[in-house]
Amino acid sequence: MNVATESSGGGEGLLEAPLIIEYAFNRTTGPVIGAFVTGLRERRVLGIRSADGRVVCPPVEYDPQTGAPLEEMVEVGTAGTVTSWSWVSQVRDGQPLQTPHALALIQLDGADTSMLHVIDADGPEAVSTGARVRIRWAEEPTGAITDIACFELDGGAS
Amino acid sequence: MAGNRVAVVGVGQTRYAAVRDDVSLPGLLREAVFRALADAHMTMDDIDAIVVGKAPDFFEGMMMPESYLAEALGAVGKPLFRVHTAGSVGGSTALVAATHVQSGVHDRVLTIGWQQQSVSEAMWALSFPIPFQQQLVAGAGGYFAPFIREYIRRSDAPDHIGILVALKDRLNALKNPYAHLHEPDITFESIEESFMLWEPIRYSETCPGSDGAIALVLASEGAAEASAASSGVPPAWIHGTAMRSEPATASGRDQVNPVAGIECAADVYAQAGITDPRRQVDVVEMYVPFSWYEPMWLENLGFAPEGEGWKLTADGATEMTGDLPVNCSGGVLSTNPIGASGMIRFGEAALQVRGQAGDHQVDGARVAVGHAYGGAAQFYAMWVVGADKP
Repeated sequence: MNVATESSGGGEGLLEAPLIIEYAFNRTTGPVIGAFVTGLRERRVLGIRSADGRVVCPPVEYDPQTGAPLEEMVEVGTAGTVTSWSWVSQVRDGQPLQTPHALALIQLDGADTSMLHVIDADGPEAVSTGARVRIRWAEEPTGAITDIACFELDGGAS
Repeated sequence: MAGNRVAVVGVGQTRYAAVRDDVSLPGLLREAVFRALADAHMTMDDIDAIVVGKAPDFFEGMMMPESYLAEALGAVGKPLFRVHTAGSVGGSTALVAATHVQSGVHDRVLTIGWQQQSVSEAMWALSFPIPFQQQLVAGAGGYFAPFIREYIRRSDAPDHIGILVALKDRLNALKNPYAHLHEPDITFESIEESFMLWEPIRYSETCPGSDGAIALVLASEGAAEASAASSGVPPAWIHGTAMRSEPATASGRDQVNPVAGIECAADVYAQAGITDPRRQVDVVEMYVPFSWYEPMWLENLGFAPEGEGWKLTADGATEMTGDLPVNCSGGVLSTNPIGASGMIRFGEAALQVRGQAGDHQVDGARVAVGHAYGGAAQFYAMWVVGADKP
């Protein structure tokens, strides 16, 4: 178990230190997911070409049909199209955005598959299947999927 | 043994280490899978079904990993079955895979056990407060230490028996290139002087936490003979399989010499025609995560009368040069990716009767026992494999 402490200035000369006890898991990313999250840190999105020629994004290490190792990383766009979505009207702690938002499948330009992410939109009437969205990057990328803070609608969304 | 004949024709292991961060989880499993397939002279296309097992999902924080792994394991369009019986899971998984062949449904079954202990801390995953269950807050060693002390009290075993087991297993591990711990400088004294974690279990009498995977290829009689003809390596024929379990908190339960283990051994010996295990079994791979479990299981599995298992250890009978070598691979004391550890015992037993154990091969081994236990010493899985057809 990890115990994280962070010292902070206490009021009236007292020392205070928050104590956060958590049960942490690590992940070994391997060569493909490792390249994907490293790309996000550089604000680039990488997919991978599968045996049948499709670009899978987020990339997978082994071919979805044959199980063969895949190697050809393909950079895809930072904008894409909504292929399906659901509106989250009641936000709870721990969700990606703390305002009402859409969970959506988004097919980035140049990819043949969709990825699950979040759209920051004013309301459900603003979102539609087929809508164009683009990445809003996190201010300080760390090499994680959360480097994509969320997606936002292009001005011309239907 | 009921059902059709089944044999082990492929064994593949990863390099075991405290941290295998050079590969993803599917990459780790494939390291074992392709070694097993190569050993069997097969490809993924030859496999009819896949049976996987691992310890609790909470250990790695991944629910139903078999779904995520299906594509990497070549399971698209094939039956994929997952087994979970705590620390014995590697053994139970191999037994479930065997039933896939014994039943006559499949001819070639791939089975895999794994663990990435480095991604969390299994010690404390076992101590998580679950409502309405006893809280351990002790880790596995703290849980088992009182039962070991009770064993010592009942048997009058001298204090150094645990040290002898640890020294033997760690020296055996030097002969196994896959083993996690390679400690060429280990001595009786260095073990004796190591930190006392849970009296009487010292640091060097405790299993490590390992990352790793093992895969086996099981085959029907016809498929096994075809594989052996191609590879030139004889199959390990399965002569008996048995599983038993008992509730952790059953009243009157004897955790020093659990009934489930006694009955599991009796069942598997009866299937294999073994009436005198000490004489008829050539080599044993048993699940010994803490040194003292060697003498305790020697008694539980019928290799020694109750109270006398420690004498086999003391006399050197369980060393590679003894008449009942135990854990020639170095055992769980040298390598412990929990979800794989039981299957490693089963796979090492198969390697011995196939003559494929390399530097830790027991010359002329014809009959071998693989054993695994799990949970609060409550889940048991065993198989007997032999060089001869049953």
